[in-house]
Amino acid sequence: MTATRLKRLALHLALLAGVLISLFPFYWTAVMATNTTRDMYRTPPKLVFGPELFSNIARVFENIDFMGSLLNTVIVACCTTVLVLFFDSLAAFTFAKYKFPGHRALFGILLLTFMLPAQLSLIPQFVIMVNIGWVGTVKALIVPASANAFGIFWMRQYIKGAVPDELIAAARLDGAGFFRQYWNVALPAIRPGLAFLGIFTFIGAWNDYAWPLIVMTDPSNVTLQVALSQLNTSHNTDFSMVMAGALLAIAPLVVVFAVFARGFVADAMKGALRG
Amino acid sequence: MELSRRRLLQVALFSAGSAALAACGSGSGSDAKELTLWYWPAGLSDKVVADAVKHFTQTKLKPSVIGGDFKQKLVTTLTGRRFVPDITGVKGEDIASLLVQADRFIDLNTLGADKLASQFVEWKWKQGSTKDGKLIGFPIDIGPTAMYYRPADFEKAGLPSKPEDVAAAMSTWDDYYAAGVKMKQANTGASMVMDIPTIFQMVIGQGTKRFIDENGKFIGDQDHIRNAWDLAIKPIQLGIAAPQAGEQDQFTAASRGKSPSLFGAAWRGQDLKNALPDDTGKWRVAAMPGGPSNYGGSFLALPKECRNPQLAFQIITWLLSPENQARGFTDAALFPSSPAAYTLPALTAPDPYFGGQKTVEVFGDAAQKIPVSYEAPSDAAVSAPFFDEVLSVWAKGKNPDTAWTDAVSKAKEIAERQGVN
Amino acid sequence: MTNTRTTPPREAPPGPRPAAGRRRGALRTYWPHYLAISPFYVLFLVFGLVPVLFSLYLAFQHWDGIGDMQFVGLRNFEFLVKDSTFWLSLYNTFVIWIMSTIPMLFLALVLAVLLNSSVRFTSFYRIAYFIPNVTSLVAIAIVFGAVFSTNQGLINAILGWLHIGAVPWLSNEWTIKLVIAWLITWQWTGYNAILYLAGLQAIPTEMYEAAKIDGAGPVQTFFRITIPQLRPIILFTVVVSTINGMQTFTEPQVLFGGNASINPNSGGPGQAGLTAILYFYREAFSNNDYGYGAAIAWAVFLVILLFTAINWRIVQRRDKGAA
Repeated sequence: MTATRLKRLALHLALLAGVLISLFPFYWTAVMATNTTRDMYRTPPKLVFGPELFSNIARVFENIDFMGSLLNTVIVACCTTVLVLFFDSLAAFTFAKYKFPGHRALFGILLLTFMLPAQLSLIPQFVIMVNIGWVGTVKALIVPASANAFGIFWMRQYIKGAVPDELIAAARLDGAGFFRQYWNVALPAIRPGLAFLGIFTFIGAWNDYAWPLIVMTDPSNVTLQVALSQLNTSHNTDFSMVMAGALLAIAPLVVVFAVFARGFVADAMKGALRG
Repeated sequence: MELSRRRLLQVALFSAGSAALAACGSGSGSDAKELTLWYWPAGLSDKVVADAVKHFTQTKLKPSVIGGDFKQKLVTTLTGRRFVPDITGVKGEDIASLLVQADRFIDLNTLGADKLASQFVEWKWKQGSTKDGKLIGFPIDIGPTAMYYRPADFEKAGLPSKPEDVAAAMSTWDDYYAAGVKMKQANTGASMVMDIPTIFQMVIGQGTKRFIDENGKFIGDQDHIRNAWDLAIKPIQLGIAAPQAGEQDQFTAASRGKSPSLFGAAWRGQDLKNALPDDTGKWRVAAMPGGPSNYGGSFLALPKECRNPQLAFQIITWLLSPENQARGFTDAALFPSSPAAYTLPALTAPDPYFGGQKTVEVFGDAAQKIPVSYEAPSDAAVSAPFFDEVLSVWAKGKNPDTAWTDAVSKAKEIAERQGVN
Repeated sequence: MTNTRTTPPREAPPGPRPAAGRRRGALRTYWPHYLAISPFYVLFLVFGLVPVLFSLYLAFQHWDGIGDMQFVGLRNFEFLVKDSTFWLSLYNTFVIWIMSTIPMLFLALVLAVLLNSSVRFTSFYRIAYFIPNVTSLVAIAIVFGAVFSTNQGLINAILGWLHIGAVPWLSNEWTIKLVIAWLITWQWTGYNAILYLAGLQAIPTEMYEAAKIDGAGPVQTFFRITIPQLRPIILFTVVVSTINGMQTFTEPQVLFGGNASINPNSGGPGQAGLTAILYFYREAFSNNDYGYGAAIAWAVFLVILLFTAINWRIVQRRDKGAA
């Protein structure tokens, strides 16, 4: 009895050590956001929270349209996530569980596109957006991102393990067509996987920087990350303000993740019991 | 034939069907209700810009502060030919590559800029002009350089500490290095030189030639570069250079009395104030060994797409009047390109960070003596290996002769690739 | 490895098998499948293919970004083969990839197994370990720069306290790579752990119960059930880490002065942090040599292809060996 308790204690200690390493830079970001730039440059630097958070945040609000860019980011992240979840899981289900002429070649192409360095296509993609008149709009951020190789690949690997072939076979015997098999059999079984993909997509869309920086040409209508980069000046850097901005930008993500993380733990348990 | 085929290919590649035609609509029409102005953070005084918005009631001036890689974004927008700003900032290091594309911009001389030429420092005006005399970039600020140093650490080593005395005692690089050796012998724990690549940069800027000449010939293997190289390497060989470190590290070391001198333009003072706010009164500015050079600075330009060039030009000249340039100095450490501003109170006020010194005496003097040199568009690309190698000598102790040979052969390769011979 | 009866049935195709030949028949039979996978391909055709072709076209041009293009044939590639900086950048990328991927995936697997067994506070741990992945990289680069700073860094302060001399972390060829690798490991370990955890949770509990009845110990269970069941996810993380690792860019860029006005994007002293994509970025965007940049990017693409194929083979072969 005590042996297992001791083991559990050791386990938690090991996990907590990892947590410390994980959280330290985040903690320090928060420390910097609550102090002045001057405090940060001190040697040794301040390692505890200061009283300056609100004045730093006030300067963020003074310098950028925080609420406007937050709204844009929320719209982009939500739309992208919903579309990706649907398109990717449907394609992944097809690749994971069916063989059809060309499926190997098509999946190969998908992987190849994933290997192309993203920086390569930034400029030509911008020219396309100019020509179809989407420059400066959130469409240019949402539509190209609404299905991606990464998500299809991940869901395919996940579905291979998470959806038993027997279940699909049974549904087919019951007369369910392809889309019904996806909707009624696969979707309920892959909820934890979807939760993960949803979070990753949401975070990716939230933190995306290089592409919005180029395509959102109207500086008064940008996403949060682009607005933050406007804070980061080249020669006079007000670090504590930048850090306050960074903190504001990640806070909503942590909340989203906390909510989702609870959701999919419960789902996973149910799935396991039912399966 | 050749050209049309290429055009065809470009069109085929760029356009997504017939939508391509839609692209060429904007930018025309001269009765614009608004004018857009692009600049980067601290590229202009935000207060001056805000006043300009109020001042020009005949149009709606829409200023935009663009973060990140400014040039990349400007070039992309120029290529896309949509949402092109009516007025745009151009950084000093980017002007050379845009001068080659002069037909994408309005020649400001056609709007009457030539009458204003005498109000600005001459070399800066030339820097913004093409070889055939078109003015593309209207001067915002300049980057006259000087030596920033800590008088207390100089004194401790038995060196002069007043700006005039320092400038007189260290008027050449050799004098400066001799002072460095003296400092080393005094055993105060200080290494005179904070940063090596900066010295390489500064010495090149003190000359009239860079890496490529006006005929597009690579001259980076010639004496003027070799001289700069040798001068940059020398403090390492003399053992008077601080160990290589990142910028913040260097500042920290300096505030602990470990490396009491550095070189930089006028805006560098702002970096010091930000990085070492507690060092008020501990720094001074003196004329640089070997004479002044320029580092940084910027321009305003009007792209061809500008919807109202006359008005845009009025806005530019208003933004950059001597009075407003002086405000730019106060708000954003932009050193005026117009000497008329040097006598205004904003510049002549004593600066407590520099012990009450009137730094304009040093920088204003330097500003008018900066040598003009031709900077080719591919200068940055071709010079990169020299900076990489000089850093290797400093950080890794690479043999200087091997490093030089490597830098030259690498630079030649890049020159060939860039179409320089 | 011998087969146990707990291994699930694999490759039992529930869907109809492809009818031999006859394309039109195939389309009639499989249209739902093609429709289901079409969004990705349509988007790629519209937004992805043109940039890819354009960059391929660019690789044979000399272009400064604004002016006219100039056809140069294979010259960019001839330069590339001789270009020692390009080979150095590939070497750097590869070293950083090894230094980051191996500890990252190993730690992630350990973490996932621990999290799967620990009943209490899992959602706390999960969030804590995942936070590095959501944090802004710009902020983190500043923090890392400060932590590893020679004169005022926390790490050197600790080393000094332990009477070990200060290490110039961001000046030395190896420690530069180590710091970059550390940053990547720090940021992506929790992410991979959560991927593994998702896979672990999908393993039906009956399999473990059956193994228990068979008298398998925890180690045996781990190697006979957990690892084989997790193989598709492991394959995924290895492939994704390879692809992402070969494209390492932002970390060295923000750590080593992407904003510097002298010689930007050079990857620090000795160019030790110059990765292949950073080199591409430097040539294209800092030095305005878009044609050469495109040639570099295509070469990197081929290298990624090669490495991914090798890694896929290694993991897949084990897969077949086990199944």
